[in-house]
Parts: sequence; C-alpha cells; structure tokens
Amino acid sequence: MPGASLFGGWRLMERTRRNALLNLLALLALAYALYLFDRYGTDYQVRILNNMAIFITLAVSYNLINGVCGILHLGPNAFVAIGAYTSALLTMSPMEKQMNYIIEPLMWPFSVLNAPFLVALIAGGLLAAFFAFLISFPVFRVRGDYLAIVTLGFGEVVRVICNAFQSVTNGPLGLKGLALHSNLWWTWGVAVVTITAVSKLVQSSYGRAMKAIREDEIAARAMGIDPFKHLLMAFLISAFFSGVAGGLLAHLIRTISPTLFTFFLTFNLLIMIVVGGLGSTTGAVIGAALFAWGGEALRIVEQPVQVAGLKIPGIPGMRMVVFSLILMVVIIFARHGIMGRHEFSWDWLFHKVRFGAARD
Amino acid sequence: MSAKRILGWTSVLSILLFGMAGICLAQDIVKIGAYLPMTGAVAAYGESEWAGIQIAKEMEPEVLGKKIETVLVDTKSDKIEAANAMTLLVEKEKVVGVLGEAISGNSMAGNPISEAAKIPTVSPTATNPLVNQGKQYAFRACFIDPFQGEVAARFAKNELKAQTVAVIIDIAQDYCVGLANFFVKEFVKQGGKVLSTTYIQTGDQDFSAQLSAVQAAKPDVIYAPNYYTEDALLAKQARDLGIKVPILTGDGAQEEALLKIGGAAVENMYFTGHFHKQAATSARAKEYIKRFEEKHKGKEADAFSALGADAYFLLVDAIKRAGSTEGPKIREALAKTKDFEGISGKITMGENGNPIKSMVINKVEGGKFVYVTTVNP
Repeated sequence: MPGASLFGGWRLMERTRRNALLNLLALLALAYALYLFDRYGTDYQVRILNNMAIFITLAVSYNLINGVCGILHLGPNAFVAIGAYTSALLTMSPMEKQMNYIIEPLMWPFSVLNAPFLVALIAGGLLAAFFAFLISFPVFRVRGDYLAIVTLGFGEVVRVICNAFQSVTNGPLGLKGLALHSNLWWTWGVAVVTITAVSKLVQSSYGRAMKAIREDEIAARAMGIDPFKHLLMAFLISAFFSGVAGGLLAHLIRTISPTLFTFFLTFNLLIMIVVGGLGSTTGAVIGAALFAWGGEALRIVEQPVQVAGLKIPGIPGMRMVVFSLILMVVIIFARHGIMGRHEFSWDWLFHKVRFGAARD
Repeated sequence: MSAKRILGWTSVLSILLFGMAGICLAQDIVKIGAYLPMTGAVAAYGESEWAGIQIAKEMEPEVLGKKIETVLVDTKSDKIEAANAMTLLVEKEKVVGVLGEAISGNSMAGNPISEAAKIPTVSPTATNPLVNQGKQYAFRACFIDPFQGEVAARFAKNELKAQTVAVIIDIAQDYCVGLANFFVKEFVKQGGKVLSTTYIQTGDQDFSAQLSAVQAAKPDVIYAPNYYTEDALLAKQARDLGIKVPILTGDGAQEEALLKIGGAAVENMYFTGHFHKQAATSARAKEYIKRFEEKHKGKEADAFSALGADAYFLLVDAIKRAGSTEGPKIREALAKTKDFEGISGKITMGENGNPIKSMVINKVEGGKFVYVTTVNP
C-alpha cells in the first residue's frame, strides 16, 4: 500500500527530528551539570569527573578497534604517550623547559616550539595517528594473537624510546610544571566529540563494513570490502583520539614520565571496554565512568572502621580485592559485559518505556 | 528495561552522587595526611615509610595540645591515583600537612595540588631534583640525587683512591640516571677519568656485554647506582669474570634482598645512603630504633622507615614552632628548620625545601651491611 509506506516515511522523519531534539536536550543537560560542578562542585569531584571524561575518550576510541573491528590491539598506551609528550612539549614555556632538562638540554626544534592548547592537542592526536599509519603496515599483515603481540611490542618500544631519548622526552626524569589547561569543558568536550564521531562512524557504511570484517573477514572480502582500508581507518581515528586524550591527561596531572604509559594503562582500558561490553560505544562509556568513579568510591573499604568500640585498621589494597570481585560478578552474570553489543538510543528507550510499562 | 532494573540503576547513581559528597569533621584534632604507594610496583617503599610514620606518631602523638590523626591514602604507585589522593586529602580530609609520596614521579603529580591549596608537603624519599623545583610548599626529608652523586664521587676519589671509573647505569630509572650524571660531573671535576659508560635496563638478567667493556677498560672502581636486583646480579657476573675492583652504588641497592641474591659476590660493595643504625646516635634516633625493633621483630630499622619518621617529625616540629596549623605559617617554619635532630641525622632546610644533611657510607662485610663513615655536607 502506498499510503502505509508514506506513513512509515513520515514516522521515520518525525523520529529523526525527535531524536535530534533529544540529543540536543541531553547535551544541554550535560553542559548544565558540568556548569554546576564547575561552579559549586569540590575539586575532588571535578578531578574525578575529569578523569572520567578522559577515560571515556580513551575507552570509546579503543573500543573502535577491539570491539567494533574485533582486533585485539594492545598498544593504545603508545598513542597516549605520543599525544601526551607532543602536547606537553608544545605548551611548556621555554623557561619551564630549561628548568626541566637538567641532564641533557632539549633538542633544537622542540626547545623553541610553542603553541596554544588546542593546537597542541590536535598536534598530539595527529602525530599519534601518523605513528599509527606507520605501524599499520606491519600490524595488519597479521591477525589474532600475532597482532596482539605486535601491538604490545609497539607499546613497549614507545615507552623505551621515551626513557632513552633524553634530549626530547627528558628520559625517566619526566616532565613537570605543565600548565593546568584541562578543565571540565575541555575533557567533556573532547569526550562528546569522540563519542559522536565514533558512533557516527560505526553507524555508517564504513562501520558496517568493520563489523562485517569482525564477524568473518573472508566473507567480507568476498562481498567486496577491503579489510586493510577499513581497519586502517579505524586504527587512525582511534589513535588520533587516544593522542588527544593523552594531551588532556598530561595537562590534568601536570607531570608525565614513561611510567605513566606502561602496559597497565592498556590493561585498564581493556577492563573498561570488556566490563562495558565489547563492541558497544555505550558500554565503553559506562565502563570508563564506572572505572574512574568506582576506584575512588571504593576507598571507603580501605578506611579504618569503628564497629562497637572495636577499631579495625584499614587494609590498603582492599579496594582492589573488592574491585576484582565486582569484575568477576559482572563477567559471570553478564558474560558480554554490561551492554553486550547493544547501544543506547532514544528509539530503544521509548520502545522499552512503552512496552516495558505495558508488560509490567 | 524493567522497573526493577531502573530501580537498580537509580540506586547506583544515587550512591555515585552521595559517595562524592564531602564529610566534615570536628576540629579538636590535627590531621596529617599521608599519600603513599601501599600497593602496586613500589608498595615496599610505602609500607616501610608508613611503618616509620606510625612509630614516629607513637613517639609524638600530640602537637599544640591537640591529638594528631594520620590519614593514609593509597596511590597504587600511580600518578593519576596520586593526584586523586592528594586532592582527597586536601579537600575532603582537610589535612594541615601531607607526608609523601615515596617516589618522585608521583610527588610531582601531587605537589601542584598542595601548592595551590597552600598545604605543605614533606616527602620522605622523593630524590629527583625536579620535585621541589619552583615550589613553595614542597619539602623533603631526604637529600637529592645531585648531592648523593657528588658525595659518591668525592668518596671514590678521596677514600677509595680511584683515578678512573666505569659507570653502569640502569637507564629505565630516573633515580639511577640522575645519580650517575651528577657523579660523573663531580668525578671529572675532581680530576678523575671516566673510562666507560654502559647502560642496562631494569629486569635485565645478563650483563656480560657491559662487563666485558668494563673489563677491557680496567677502571679502579665501578660506579653502578642501580637498584638491588640488578646490582646483585651485576656483582655476581663481574666476580665470575674476574673483575675484582670495588663496586660503589647508591641507597637504592641497600636492601636485604641484595645479600640474598648476591651472596659472597657483593662483599665489599660500598653504598652512599641516608641511614645506618650505627650512625644514628641522637636520643630520638635510639628511642626510635628501640621501638621499631620491638614492634617489628626480626627486622632492622631501615632507611625508608627512618625517613618516613623524619618526614613526620619535621612536619610536627614545624607546626610546633609555627604555633599554628595554617599552611603558610607551617611552611615558613619548615623552611627555617635548622639543625633538627632527626632519625637519619641533623637536618637543615636548604634552598627549595631540599635538606642539607650528612650522608652515611656503608658496605657489605660478612654478609651484613656495616657502617663505614659519615660524610658531612
């Protein structure tokens, strides 16, 4: 019936407009919440929210490779490091640089370079993407466990270079005295941009192709999809946002050294996206938010407690025990993570509210 | 989503919001914060320092007529967590001063926060010279790497009568790189010669390549300012190759584990260090050592715990002299610390909150760390 399809088309248009409006409202709500925290929140709350936004950016971009493309990539710490060092070298004042490099002076082009924060962040992202481009050729020649090992190796190589290349990175001494540029607007702004960019990409035909590669690479190739091209695209975008997040991280904690970018960083990101649900951007956001907030909230279990006059001293490390228990529970009861491969969408929400309410 | 799940999520979110709300406490106590690596890669340092701080607190539990309460927050040996921990101490716990962090990288993450809040910090063992650079409120109880490197160079030149040296550096540790660089500068200034410089990495097992370079150079002394595991293995392999010259190293190698791994090979290894029981002669130090050994049976009072205690004593002493718990006043008092009798020796605060203090030289003899001499600044 032509009438029905016309009606359907109208419904679709209406829904798109409704969703766009709701997205806008959600953004405004987020902005208002951030404004409230910025104005009335304590520094501690603001710090946790900043960490949360940076972890969200990292987890969402990491999930694009591991979850959406189904590639076990273990080297995001390298891209974070590249972004952090690049942006730090660009924003530090010449005087601060001179004070930092006490053993070997900073090499020439870096010692005079200076850029505003936004430029530094983008430069960090671009350089990370450039390195991703360079290593993509060897990396995508292999798959599965072998790819994991190659990327893991790359992560270690970058860390070792940071240690050894003293006239650029100041070696293991690290850099300190970075200006506090990262605030709630920067970190959450980048997080929102990352979420939007990644989810638009995943919904596009490129994203569908990436998922096809994840499910069956040979079948995807038979359908005319070029795996290398699509994986490279995902890899570059992921590296770019990881680099930007690295710059934000550097200007939040205001000091960096190679120890910040060890495999543990990658490992934490992996936990976030697995708990959230591999392949789900919503899941990555939830996982990262829980990780950033949970780690601090669980400090309660390490504090000394007084029960009926009995003083029990706090046990350091207790929160890691509780944290692992929570992880195990999540993996046992929600094997595919909190979200599985599902995404949050307004349609889904309305559907659930309408039909869920009727069912209950 | 069923109503139950919505309820579940709502409760999670509400815990999120309430959990982050601050808690205020009555002010009849003086709160001192400690942010230390109690878990993670360098947990051993955090544990030792916390043990020292607790004994120091037993010895001086009160200041200005108020009870002192110490609040410990774990940093997981990590920078992000260190910054979180410092913010928590300053803002939620409202501490008047902070002890920590144990390692330099983490102190550099915490210090900008305490600086902005005008809360003085005393780190027991952050020895990287960058830590206090340009900071008003950052202090430490230990001497810094340049000083240790310089004293080591003078000791090698004057006491060990060395004209030439081979340096072996663990390139993965800021501490080792710092020490070696300042050693070389001073040694050359004193008229000595560096015959070879070779690099190792934390975790390396085989040092034959580096040692053959040393063997060819025939130095009077090997300077290897690395941590205990690498130094123990290095000494073993050097002795196996027939290299007999003394090995000089820093305080990072002075751990019981060095003796266990190294055995006979580490005999006659020299250390520049912060503390030795026999060098600690003040009444306070004797009292501290007695209490430490009563509480921790079978363990000797070590440098990390002694410096932890010194950080506490320095801060409490400053609060006493300031007669106030206001950050700027404590800071002034800390900066004016002069000839303070600590556990690890007499401490005078120099420029940038870096103490000027004496250094002890120890060596391994008969499978034990023996005190050799004290070098004054």
